[in-house]
Amino acid sequence: MIQVQSLVKEFPQKNGNTFRAVDGVSFEAAHGEIVCLLGVNGAGKTTTMRVLSTIFKPNGGSAQIEGYDIVSQGDMVRRNLGFLSGDTGLYMRLSPREFITYFGRLYGVEEQDIKKRIDEMATLLDMHDFLDKKMEFLSSGMKQKASIVRSIIHDPPVMIFDEPTSGLDILTARNIISFIRTCRENGKCVLFSTHIMREAERLADRIVMIHSGKVLAQGTLQQMREETGFEDLDDIFVHYVNQTGMELENHEF
Amino acid sequence: MNFKKALIVFRKEILEMLRDKRTLFATIVLPVILYPLIFIGSSSIMSRQADILDKRGAVIALMDSLSYDTPDAKEIYETVFQTLQETPYVTTLENPPHLEMLYEEREILAVVSISDTVSTSGVPSYRAGIRFDASGDQGRLLFEKLQKSLSQVNSKILAKRLSEKGLEEEYIHPLTVKQFDSSSTEKKMGNLLGMLLPYMMILMLITGASVVAADLVAGEKERRTLETLLVSSATRGEIVLGKYLTVFCMAMINVIINLISISFSVKFLLSQMGFAEQGLQLPIKSFMILLLAMIPLATLFSALLLSISTFSRNMKEARTYEQPIMIVSMLLGMVSFIPAMQISNLMALLPVVNIALLFKGILIGEWELSHLLITVGSTLVLDVLAIWLTVKLFHSEAVLFRTEEDGGGLRSQRKSKRGFFNPFNGAVYFSLALVALYYLGTKWQMGNLVNGLVKTQLLIIFLPVFLILGFLKIRGGEARKLLRLNAPKPKELLLVPIIAISAAVTVSIIAQLINQVCPFPPEYLEGLEKLFKLDVPTWQMFLVIAVMPGICEELMFRGFLIRFFEKGKFWQSVIISALLFAVFHLDLFRFIPVLILGILLGYLSSRSGSIYNSMLSHTINNALALFIGLFSEQSWMKFIVVDAENLRYWVIAPALVILALSLWAFHKVTAEKNENLELGLEAENR
Repeated sequence: MIQVQSLVKEFPQKNGNTFRAVDGVSFEAAHGEIVCLLGVNGAGKTTTMRVLSTIFKPNGGSAQIEGYDIVSQGDMVRRNLGFLSGDTGLYMRLSPREFITYFGRLYGVEEQDIKKRIDEMATLLDMHDFLDKKMEFLSSGMKQKASIVRSIIHDPPVMIFDEPTSGLDILTARNIISFIRTCRENGKCVLFSTHIMREAERLADRIVMIHSGKVLAQGTLQQMREETGFEDLDDIFVHYVNQTGMELENHEF
Repeated sequence: MNFKKALIVFRKEILEMLRDKRTLFATIVLPVILYPLIFIGSSSIMSRQADILDKRGAVIALMDSLSYDTPDAKEIYETVFQTLQETPYVTTLENPPHLEMLYEEREILAVVSISDTVSTSGVPSYRAGIRFDASGDQGRLLFEKLQKSLSQVNSKILAKRLSEKGLEEEYIHPLTVKQFDSSSTEKKMGNLLGMLLPYMMILMLITGASVVAADLVAGEKERRTLETLLVSSATRGEIVLGKYLTVFCMAMINVIINLISISFSVKFLLSQMGFAEQGLQLPIKSFMILLLAMIPLATLFSALLLSISTFSRNMKEARTYEQPIMIVSMLLGMVSFIPAMQISNLMALLPVVNIALLFKGILIGEWELSHLLITVGSTLVLDVLAIWLTVKLFHSEAVLFRTEEDGGGLRSQRKSKRGFFNPFNGAVYFSLALVALYYLGTKWQMGNLVNGLVKTQLLIIFLPVFLILGFLKIRGGEARKLLRLNAPKPKELLLVPIIAISAAVTVSIIAQLINQVCPFPPEYLEGLEKLFKLDVPTWQMFLVIAVMPGICEELMFRGFLIRFFEKGKFWQSVIISALLFAVFHLDLFRFIPVLILGILLGYLSSRSGSIYNSMLSHTINNALALFIGLFSEQSWMKFIVVDAENLRYWVIAPALVILALSLWAFHKVTAEKNENLELGLEAENR
């Protein structure tokens, strides 16, 4: 599970000031549950996820993945975490099988387990035709499948998806969405971020709304509807933003 | 650190490299085809070109400028004419009209004019002048040919005259000089290869390594694969190690292929030219030592290029940042072309230069074990530093996830004064000052030394600080705070002279010890002595050598320049400014002593928050050197001084004790103040 308490992340700027990308964010996500970080571009979703996955070090607050502290037990955190984002690249001169095996080895998975898992997942995702072709010759859908298998090769209990559908065509995006659902069915703890309201509506068990690095509101969609009196998630979001008096800049949804 | 994970990274990177056509071409194909082309191709083309030029033929003019119409003169002229006509591919015109015009239009390529004089005793002598255009290959070849023909004429006439007098040719050659070369053929070969090979090897090493290095981190950033790698359970240290091994391995493969290709080409060339029969062989054993000597350099470049790659946003940027390193290394590698340059213990300390000279030394068989050890040792130290830097960079979020946005030019920096003081601007400022010092300062000091020193201190060191502050609109109290122009405590002022004198003594003993290992050249010492034997009053010398540097250099280094590097820890800015201070003295022999002094001065001013402390210390230090220089001949100085440059060694013991005690006291006295080292500019910025 994921526990986040008053997380703060600052970036130094060229003019000597610091910019607070994440400003006291707290939330939790349990096993068998999909929690969605919802917010406009630049709200601090990606930064939060990067701190949780130990790429960035937090400037304040704390967080635990499966009970392991993200600062002091980074190695255990990474072992228990699968990370996938929509725009991650791949090694073009490797085949999906080599690519996945590489990460399996880095995670310390046994050779025969890697083989077995690749085989299982390839059947599940219909990948056998291109498993040994070089990435540079594959379509974006095929590449995304390779990325999916890469993210779960070490069978992590916690999955983090950072804007997993951004930049993908509809069919590929559907693959991802159904994969996220499968993760929940398998009892994994899933955190995913998006700026697309519809996606949050369709997938999330609970929603954490983020704006300017702060949590606006969190709860189930039903709770939010009752609290605000709006039906549509767009309206609910704008309602919460207006409530805090923060400016909603010209962001596209 | 799990070495197994580093190996997993290494294996995957090598697999990717071997599948990349560009890398394969640069590291394997290029060297295989390059050397045959250079060695064999160029030599055969060269000889063929000369042949073509020769066979093209040339028209020359023979001018009769004889003033005496004697049979002797006539005979000489006739013989010359005949010989020239017998010279192949040369057409000789006798006294052609419009000579100047024809020569200008290059119809006539050379003019031979025969003139004569009579010596005081009445013996006539003749001269054949050859006029030609030495800037062209054709002109030079023609000249060589004509010279050969005309010297034939000389020997012909000489032989005839001798036989007329009944003398043998030995009569006019009472002493002939002959050479007996004792060097072995290997050594000759080594000398030839020793010039060319080090340079080529260093060049190929860098080209090979840079292609690979740029791809490994900057390439991952560009392809957006780095994030995935960082969330895997390999630590950043393991990732760096794996990638470092990859660059090193590819660089060494490149070197080995280069060496093999070179040896085959040279061998082929030797047998073609018939040298192989004369026993001229390739020094295979030296090649093996070369390969070993290449390892530390390869590790250094791997680490250096990898850190550049880590720092860069994308591959293009990485290749741009690699350029200066490549150019500097190539220039350093060229030392092997300098004729008398040989490896020494001092040279073995300089990166790249040491390997190039060691190569040369090994190939001609003139080197010592200490050279090899110092070379390997000093390179490894730099190597460890570069790897440490790469791991550091890998832990820096700001570097790994640098975005395209930027602070945007001087205009915006003027608005944000605090942002102006960043390491990049500091480096630019320092480089400009260094260039000014090198071109203007040295020129001024060559004219009138005292005058030049004053001008350097005022115009290059002192003035720019205030011009920049003026540009940034930092004035009054703000400027005083920035430059640390704060009054020191009386206790501090009391301790500083004790620190300064004991430190000066300690440092000069260290300098003497360094001198034992790497002796100063005599010219250098003469230059120093000149400084102390100037024909000016002592008080003027005191002002120019002690007081002015104390004020101006302290303002520049401990007041201004150090501010550019104060983002990090206390010692970081002190050491960086001290390094720059040492570089600024443009003096390799005093680098370490000056560096130590710089660290001390930086500590004094930063710790106490008052630049007057370091100014006083600097002035005392320089004054002391002046004092010893002036009075070293006096008998009452002899118990501590050997001569103007050397103190007696025993003085280091009391000096060290006093230095340690006084520094400890200084540290105690300044304890309360050092918390508040802020730049004092934030309030204005918010």
